[in-house]
Amino acid sequence: MLEIRGLHSAYGRIEVLHGVELRVDAGEIVCLIGGNGAGKTTLMRAISGVQPISGGNILFEGQDISKFAAEARVRLGIAQVPEGRQIFGGITVEDNLNLGGWLHGGGTAKERDDIYAMFPILHDKRGLAAAGLSGGQQQMLAIGRALMSRPRLLLLDEPSMGLAPVLVEQVFSVIEALRERGITILLVEQNAAAALAKSNRGYVIETGRITHSGPSDALIGDPKLREAYLGI
Amino acid sequence: MPELLQFAFSGLTVGAVYALVALGFTLIYNASDVVNFAQGEFVMLGGMVTVFLHLAGVPLPIAAALAIFATVLVGLALYAFAIDPARGSSAVTVIIITIGASIFLRGVAQVIFDKRFHALPHWFGSEPIRFGGAAILPQSLVVLAGAAIIVALIFVIIDRTILGRAILATAANRLAARLVGIPVRKIVALSFALSAAIGAVAGILVTPITLTSYDVGTLLALKGFAAAMLGGMGSAVGAVVGGILLGLAESFGAGLISSKYKDAIAFLIILATLFLRPQGLFGKKSVERV
Repeated sequence: MLEIRGLHSAYGRIEVLHGVELRVDAGEIVCLIGGNGAGKTTLMRAISGVQPISGGNILFEGQDISKFAAEARVRLGIAQVPEGRQIFGGITVEDNLNLGGWLHGGGTAKERDDIYAMFPILHDKRGLAAAGLSGGQQQMLAIGRALMSRPRLLLLDEPSMGLAPVLVEQVFSVIEALRERGITILLVEQNAAAALAKSNRGYVIETGRITHSGPSDALIGDPKLREAYLGI
Repeated sequence: MPELLQFAFSGLTVGAVYALVALGFTLIYNASDVVNFAQGEFVMLGGMVTVFLHLAGVPLPIAAALAIFATVLVGLALYAFAIDPARGSSAVTVIIITIGASIFLRGVAQVIFDKRFHALPHWFGSEPIRFGGAAILPQSLVVLAGAAIIVALIFVIIDRTILGRAILATAANRLAARLVGIPVRKIVALSFALSAAIGAVAGILVTPITLTSYDVGTLLALKGFAAAMLGGMGSAVGAVVGGILLGLAESFGAGLISSKYKDAIAFLIILATLFLRPQGLFGKKSVERV
């Protein structure tokens, strides 16, 4: 579904991705783990078209989308829940969802109700400014907003960041529920143990290069990775 | 007593124009964080283009419509050729670009048009209406009604449409706006187009009363900026209230103290706002949970 070939990206003159290769097949949950500054967020932004690339290709369902504008990629079915949630703070919860459906005229009431069924707390707070939500609720809203764009591939950048353990659990169960609905998922996580436990395959990125890849259970079993990322 | 009423009338009329300029500031500021100091030139262009088309024999309503259209084109060109290429630069850089654009537009207007003052005919005659001992020009009522209609229209767009939400979203979080597929650059271009149209309409409405010339924009931009600061930068309600208050303050200040200080009042208001309530009357303190 998604194929990344030899991707390079730079901030000014500092290159942060040095030829990344990565593949996500339809129906999978693929996780990307790596330390701070390894290039995880840069890669996610490059896939969504909000970070310029300086080399390589991004293919979505066989089509080269490397030069597509961000909005065209959303239209094709690639949505992202960005790092740090990035909700529209001064706008109501409901309007955040409506804006998620921007490309579909704001989305339908049924789509909103689907999201509310998944996250009832958002329904209770739908008239309030999103900035007033707690961290966990903001994460739910960010996921709901991304779903409103009717994605087939959902990019989740550190969805568990800064959340209490019980909420992390909830986020991961939401991710599994989404996969059951047929949404393919690329998940970036620092919480490597949880991410590997819930995913089919995994990639490890270090200073802008993919250093390990394979089925998630094999990665969990790799002694070097256990030491570096799982702290065991 | 009739004098006070007279001051109120003229203050409201001028205030309505300031409110429209401030609303233009607010729209662009909200979508792009840019304070567009060429906002006054939109007002000038609205008036001047109408004047010269009318002189060339074009009927007034058509001249006015063409002037709005031309000003919108100028607004879009300002965005495309001056603001957009500088995206990623600091807000101060872009603000200085708008000052440069304002000087440029004034210069071009001076060459294309001329350096004299020009008037437009009053829409419903220039016979003042007597009211409580004060006189009010029919055109003042036109200005007030026109401003009210535009303000209402803008509020409906911002508050009731997904497009307005997209403008707010672009302001709130540009990255997230792009990630949900909002074409951020088109939204900012749209805010320039809308601001230009508002400015042009203000110029067309008020020219019969205040006259216009190539350089009326400078002072209007400063007054509009003062109004927007007083109301709270970024607040549309604040822009309107700030504009009306500034108009009234000028009118009463000029009438009761001395008309020599009329233009100083706007600057006093900027200073007072910064000292006493930097976020303005309706501005929000920028607190956001992260």
